[in-house]
Amino acid sequence: MKTTPQGCQSRLPDNTALKQQQLPAYRLQLSATGVLSGFFATGVFCLGVGIILILSAKSIKEIEINYTKICANCAKLRENAVNFDKECTCSIPFHIPETMQGNVYMYYKLYGFYQNLYGYILSRSNSQLLGTDVKDVGSCAPFRESHNGTPIAPCGAIANSIFNDTIILSYNLNSSIHIKVPMLRSGITWWTDKYVKFRNPSSNNLSSAFAGTTKPPYWPKPVYELDEEDPGNNGFINDDFIVWMRTAAFPTFKKLYRRLSRTQCFIEGLPAVTRFRGEKSVVLSTLTWSGGRSLFLGLAYTVTGAVTWLATFSMMAAHLMLKERKMFFSQQ
Amino acid sequence: MEREPATAEEPAPPGRRWRRRRRREGRKRTVRSNLMPPPGAEDPAAGALRRQCGGAQHLADNQLKTTKYTLLSFLPKNLFEQFHRVANVYFVFIAMLNFVPAVNAFQPGLTLAPVLFILAVTAFKDLWEDYSRHRSDHEINHLGCLVFSREEKQYVNRFWKEIRVGDFVRLRCNEIIPADILLLSSSDPDGLCHIETANLDGETNLKRRQVVRGFSDLVSEFNPLTFTSVIECEKPNNDLTRFRGCIVHDNGKKAGLYKENLLLRGCTIRNTEAVVGIVIYAGHETKALLNNSGPRYKRSQLERQMNCDVLWCVLLLVCMSLFSAVGHGLWVRRYEEKKSLFDVPESDGSSLSPVTAAVYSFLTMIIVLQVLIPISLYVSIEIVKVCQVYFINQDIELYDEETDSQLQCRALNITEDLGQIQYIFSDKTGTLTENKMVFRRCTVSGMEYAHDANARRLAKYQEADSEDEEAVPRGGSLPQRGSIGSHQSIRIMHRSQSTKSHRRTGSRAEAKRASMLSKHTAFSSPMEKDIAPDPKLFEKVSECDRCLAVARHQEHPLAHLSPELSDVFDFFIALTICNTVVVTSPDQPRQKVRGRCELKSPVKTIEDFLRRFTPSRLTSGCSSTGSLATKSTHKSGSSFLSTLSNNSTLLKLEERLGQPAPAITSNGYSSGADGWAPERATREQGQELEQVQEQELRYEAESPDEAALVYAARAYNCALADRLHDQVSVELPHLGRLTFELLHTLGFDSIRKRMSVVIRHPLTDEINVYTKGADSVIMDLLLPCSSDDARGRHQKKIRSTTQNYLNLYAVEGLRTLCIAKRVLSKEEYACWLQSHLEAESSLENREELLFQSAVRLETNLHLLGATGIEDRLQDGVPETITKLRQAGLQIWVLTGDKQETAINIAYACKLLDHDEEVITLNAESQEACAALLDQCLHYVQSTRPRSTPEKTAGNMSVGFSPLCSASASTTSDPSPSLVIDGRSLAYALEKNLEDKFLFLAKQCRSVLCCRSTPLQKSMVVKLVRSKLKAMTLAIGDGANDVSMIQVADVGVGISGQEGMQAVMASDFAVPRFRYLQRLLLVHGHWCYSRLANMVLYFFYKNTMFVGLLFWFQFYCGFSASTMIDQWYLILFNLLFSSLPQLVTGVLDKDVPAYVLLTEPQLYKSGQHMEEYRPRTFWLNMADAAFQSLVCFFVPYLAYYDSDTDMFTWGTLITAIALFTFLLHLGIETKTWTWLNWIACGLSILLFFTVALIYNASCATCYPPSNPYWTMQTLMGDPMFYLTCLLTSVTALLPRLFFKALQGSLFPTQLQLGRQLAKKSPKKLSAPFAQGPLPGETRTEPSEQRSVSTSGSLSRDCTLQVSWHAQQPACSPEARGEPSMVDVSMPLREDPLLEGLSSQALGCSSQEEAILEGCPGDSKVKPTNTSRTALLSSIFNLPTFSSLNWISSLSLVSRLGSVLQFSRGSLQMDKQDGEFLPSPPQPDQDLKRADHGLLLGASSRDCS
Repeated sequence: MKTTPQGCQSRLPDNTALKQQQLPAYRLQLSATGVLSGFFATGVFCLGVGIILILSAKSIKEIEINYTKICANCAKLRENAVNFDKECTCSIPFHIPETMQGNVYMYYKLYGFYQNLYGYILSRSNSQLLGTDVKDVGSCAPFRESHNGTPIAPCGAIANSIFNDTIILSYNLNSSIHIKVPMLRSGITWWTDKYVKFRNPSSNNLSSAFAGTTKPPYWPKPVYELDEEDPGNNGFINDDFIVWMRTAAFPTFKKLYRRLSRTQCFIEGLPAVTRFRGEKSVVLSTLTWSGGRSLFLGLAYTVTGAVTWLATFSMMAAHLMLKERKMFFSQQ
Repeated sequence: MEREPATAEEPAPPGRRWRRRRRREGRKRTVRSNLMPPPGAEDPAAGALRRQCGGAQHLADNQLKTTKYTLLSFLPKNLFEQFHRVANVYFVFIAMLNFVPAVNAFQPGLTLAPVLFILAVTAFKDLWEDYSRHRSDHEINHLGCLVFSREEKQYVNRFWKEIRVGDFVRLRCNEIIPADILLLSSSDPDGLCHIETANLDGETNLKRRQVVRGFSDLVSEFNPLTFTSVIECEKPNNDLTRFRGCIVHDNGKKAGLYKENLLLRGCTIRNTEAVVGIVIYAGHETKALLNNSGPRYKRSQLERQMNCDVLWCVLLLVCMSLFSAVGHGLWVRRYEEKKSLFDVPESDGSSLSPVTAAVYSFLTMIIVLQVLIPISLYVSIEIVKVCQVYFINQDIELYDEETDSQLQCRALNITEDLGQIQYIFSDKTGTLTENKMVFRRCTVSGMEYAHDANARRLAKYQEADSEDEEAVPRGGSLPQRGSIGSHQSIRIMHRSQSTKSHRRTGSRAEAKRASMLSKHTAFSSPMEKDIAPDPKLFEKVSECDRCLAVARHQEHPLAHLSPELSDVFDFFIALTICNTVVVTSPDQPRQKVRGRCELKSPVKTIEDFLRRFTPSRLTSGCSSTGSLATKSTHKSGSSFLSTLSNNSTLLKLEERLGQPAPAITSNGYSSGADGWAPERATREQGQELEQVQEQELRYEAESPDEAALVYAARAYNCALADRLHDQVSVELPHLGRLTFELLHTLGFDSIRKRMSVVIRHPLTDEINVYTKGADSVIMDLLLPCSSDDARGRHQKKIRSTTQNYLNLYAVEGLRTLCIAKRVLSKEEYACWLQSHLEAESSLENREELLFQSAVRLETNLHLLGATGIEDRLQDGVPETITKLRQAGLQIWVLTGDKQETAINIAYACKLLDHDEEVITLNAESQEACAALLDQCLHYVQSTRPRSTPEKTAGNMSVGFSPLCSASASTTSDPSPSLVIDGRSLAYALEKNLEDKFLFLAKQCRSVLCCRSTPLQKSMVVKLVRSKLKAMTLAIGDGANDVSMIQVADVGVGISGQEGMQAVMASDFAVPRFRYLQRLLLVHGHWCYSRLANMVLYFFYKNTMFVGLLFWFQFYCGFSASTMIDQWYLILFNLLFSSLPQLVTGVLDKDVPAYVLLTEPQLYKSGQHMEEYRPRTFWLNMADAAFQSLVCFFVPYLAYYDSDTDMFTWGTLITAIALFTFLLHLGIETKTWTWLNWIACGLSILLFFTVALIYNASCATCYPPSNPYWTMQTLMGDPMFYLTCLLTSVTALLPRLFFKALQGSLFPTQLQLGRQLAKKSPKKLSAPFAQGPLPGETRTEPSEQRSVSTSGSLSRDCTLQVSWHAQQPACSPEARGEPSMVDVSMPLREDPLLEGLSSQALGCSSQEEAILEGCPGDSKVKPTNTSRTALLSSIFNLPTFSSLNWISSLSLVSRLGSVLQFSRGSLQMDKQDGEFLPSPPQPDQDLKRADHGLLLGASSRDCS
């Protein structure tokens, strides 16, 4: 008998907030005051951040020296692939007008170099770069093997097109005395790249580790001879190499080259810029918390803030103008 | 027929068991006993073995297999099915494209992942469904039942699946029937068996099944071994209502088999101890399973629109890819001459030509940008819809306490269509009304009995009801609950079984509901049961009773009564017995009060004893001694008798006919009973207990009308006490129990529109035919009476007054039935019986023959009286209709009822308004219909521009504009309503007229189609759907609405009193009409708005995301490179951004429910597709493009001159996109619940967690991005956060700005609704939680209505009087709806017409006095608009034709444009001396047609 009353209501749905779709809810109301104050606050915030960003970007000192034209002769020389190991130097004198404080970074900057081409970014072998299997060149097409079938190390299009200009900064006390500015080749890569992603094959001797492989076709010297000064900076864990292997997002990009102190510079030996119709520069720059010298973000914030304020005022005007009409509607 | 030979095509092994064979013609199946030894001698053991091996292979066994797949076939079959979806094929194509080396954009395996995921999810879902099907199949297959085993010579327990065709099955009470079984034996002495078909059609009343003729009278218990006959029957079909066949006995004799002999699988045996039958159809060939079709698949309008937009997206995709390809070609050419350092040549050192590169790029781009076609869209939509359905099901406000049912969504994928409905097509009976028939008043032999007390009682119920609703849940079963008792436990146990087993025949829910319902007797609410008798009539009935009690033993007892009293007596006898009501007692539900099986139980009380052994079973005569017959004597007695009357009914009949009338056994009162009955009667009167017992008899009727009549008769102490298949007992206070021998029951059908019983009257021993049916039919079948003699004149008068009252009832909205009687002489009966039996036993066109036979019987009837049954409006129907109309829905009512009743109900439920015009379209021919349509159109067009009528004095056209609209509120729509009858509808639906009809109907506020057939209903729906391109909803409760429900875009079934056919066919099933309001206005709106917004959001999301990739192509030489990691690209849609939009899609409420209910016009936004239309789609896409521009270029410029690498920047972009999506969703989400917060939080959390884990997982994996430690580095950079913030804000500012501006400058209705919700938080929600407001819960059918109209009354009358000064009869009582006023009265210049018009007014009032005061009462009364043609055909009076057209003219003349013509034509006709009018329009062709032309602005002119 007892089942009957329960049975009678057996199909009564649960009266829970969820099932009855009556969860307590916050209604997003685009009411005048809400929207106006929201816009206003956004405007204030954006303007504030924008100004801060602009100020901080302004504090950055940056010098860019475009050496494309000046070193055009070297480029011409290099256009003929036969001359790739011939030395060619050119020097550009420049003047740093103000003191650059803090860490100064030297970048090279390429214009119109497409490091983000689909085929290009595919053409690398991570397992080779990790040093586990030097001869694993499977994904490196078309730069997998030399003509005689020896696997290339490091293989692939990215490695092959490495930026191999040597940039030397020297401080000209006078016309004759050149003080070479000490450059730090280390610390320019991501730590994880240097110590996790890029490893040399384990062997006593680097050259023996790379035995059975050959250098990429465009390279003047094999990978284990990249840095003559610091033997620990050779092979796959060469900082310049690692930096190059991190492909840039846009065709115009700069990459960290050296960390250094105040100075002048010398430039020598460049890849032929004309071959990629691009330009090359050296950039000397300091850094702040907000990154480089780009004013864009700060400006964007400022502009957004300003636009938001404008919108606020226009809305307020509309709102005030139509106050009466609104009243009518809400009474409806 | 012939025995099964070893035919060539199926080599029969020796010892093959008997089996059915499909004959070459394929028309019939032959079934023989499985027990019969086949011609070749057979080893029983071998037989058993073979049985296990499966027996005859082509024979459907009883094993149920509804699974689609087997282990082996699952994968191929499921994949095959899944690839029927174009989307799946597309995605697989893309994935396959990626395997082509030249064009691959991603790691080949990776693109396959989402497709495989989707396929796998679907496959898993299918597998699970299939598995649960398998499980339930298994369960059902392993139910046990008793099957006769040849080896053991007894019934043994076997599983259902082992049953074969030809097996003998023994079923006990409350068992479920395992297959379609031919009933061969029943424990019931009369060979009856009751089944409950709730699982099949939801009907809870018991159906009677009968043992095959010839087997019912077997001497001893049925022995299957002796069964040698061959059964020949139809091939398996799905017609539940038909079974034909015959059984051929060994001696070559044939006996017909009918559906009454067949026990259908899925039904439950009730009231019968045990039955035995032979299996005819098993397993999938049973009717129940053949009837079971799978769920319906409908595509919603939104989805269609969406698919169209998906095509746009495909186009966009192709364009983007093409652009990219061209770009890439140009780029390659630019660098062609000089090989650049970054150039990646082919393996052989050569480089691709620009054109080849472009082609490859194109294909790669298609892969890269495939996200534009959202793979997850379809899955998400399915999920959202399932959740929406779940929430609709769960809505507590759609739960009906009375029936313990809530709304069921049977179609899962058209929820959003509910928000876009434009036309509602509704049935009337059971849909708008309760289908609870309550006896209201009756007319017996020309005297009206108003039953005022009854009316008062009903009014009380209404009040009580409405109070109840407010109070505690009322449990409709309260009166009966106490009596369920011990039987309950059995039933409950059994019920669980039955629900399990009938998932096939209907959804589980339905089975449960049905079993729920079956606890209570249908149609027996107190309101229907307790009828307050009219004192006058009660007195008359008592008088009859007394007189007859005294005169019973005389020669002609009835002769002592005056004709009127005799009619009264017959009337009540007819009410009581002319039906198929089964009597049960509440003590033992579903047990017959006196069945023989009951005798086996010990006598419990003295009352029980008395009741049980009251001499009543007179046919068999066994209990005539009235003594305590023991079981054994009883049995032998009965069997003895049954042997006597073995086999041929004809024989029995002849026997009986030959007997002298009052002599023995077979008629009403046996001598032995004489002493008993009076004694018993007196004792009974003294014994209250017995009285109570009698009171509690329950009547199980097939239709509510029958129940109402039986309950009504009981109120007059003329109680139906018992019904067996061959006798009916009626209990009267003085006469005691009268037992009528029931010779035949000619069931009700919709063609004849009547039913009859043939009985032998116990008092007179005459054979009487009692017929009950629609008045239109019965009136035609009456004995023509000559006007010569007094009696004939009297009869005629009775008829005419009865007809008058019938009209009056119809006006009141009552359902009318006529009761008639015919006395047959024995010769006539014998003659008829002969032909009837022939008809019954014929195999070919039996229906036809039976119909003719019935027609032969039901003629020359003597009219007894008429009843008026009220079918009350359901709760809240007027309110619902008002709201729905405010919501911009056009409501059409399509009903089979007659015009007057329909119109009245329409007024009651506010479908028609008293201050609006009603155009009535009744045409007799195609041409007339065309002409009428033209006129109506002309009229409608001419009046439509005028918002208020011009009341210029002297201008006759004044009358044609709505009288009250001037005084009515200015908001009222001047558009008229259209009433059309079935015949005109048929003409109007013809090809050449349908456009006009539709055009007219479109102008009308509401349309009422009366007397329409189911087919017409569906045709109307189809027409509106196809021609007007409108969204249609059909709602109905009965089988006659099924076709309409199926045709409509959305079919809604009401799980009402008439079974479940409508529900089975519907997409949604609601318990009551009023729930439609909430279903459409709230859930429909929500579903539509949610889904529309979600689809838009999906398009936005994908376009925006693809935009990011596309813009990047400008910076990577269009090389199809992606800065976003492939994994992010693939998982983004599936994982990171899917949850919040799902939550919003499921839970968002743009406007709260109470506002939607109070402001129904908000629904219009869905009708006009405001939320999702091409314009919004493209705006949305434009916004997506803008946002993607912002989201790309802000980070691009921010990182322009930096040393960032590609994938770090890509990760930043992904994060930005995610934030932007979520913020965008935040703006679009109207209600933020904790679920939304969680979903958004989870989304972000998931992205960062996955990214961090992914970026830390492998140093060398995932080329080309190789994203080791990218995210970690990125998150240490303040630039990342600054950029994210700025970009998201900038991207969404314009949207927010425009939304805000638009919201304050040009707010849409919905936004206003939202503001309203904010202003009055929750204030209104309380009353709406309870449905309609208590104050206005119901419209009182008559009282309140008349009160409500009284306001407009005086106005009408003054107007009327001012025009028709010769009409002083305009009493205040005349229910003066403006539409009712007959404006054409001034036209009636001759006296006849004069009288007519006064009559027209008079009979439109409710007051009897006026009616009687009308001159020329009897002559002119048939001026009823719809009845005219009919009556004129009956009486063949020339005047009637004229009256006919005059009344039509009076109707026509409401049309201003028509008036002048009509007037002229009238004069012309008078000169001609003919009543043939010229056509109202100068169209000469229509002259002939006009004879039957009926057109009116109101059909209520005189009804």
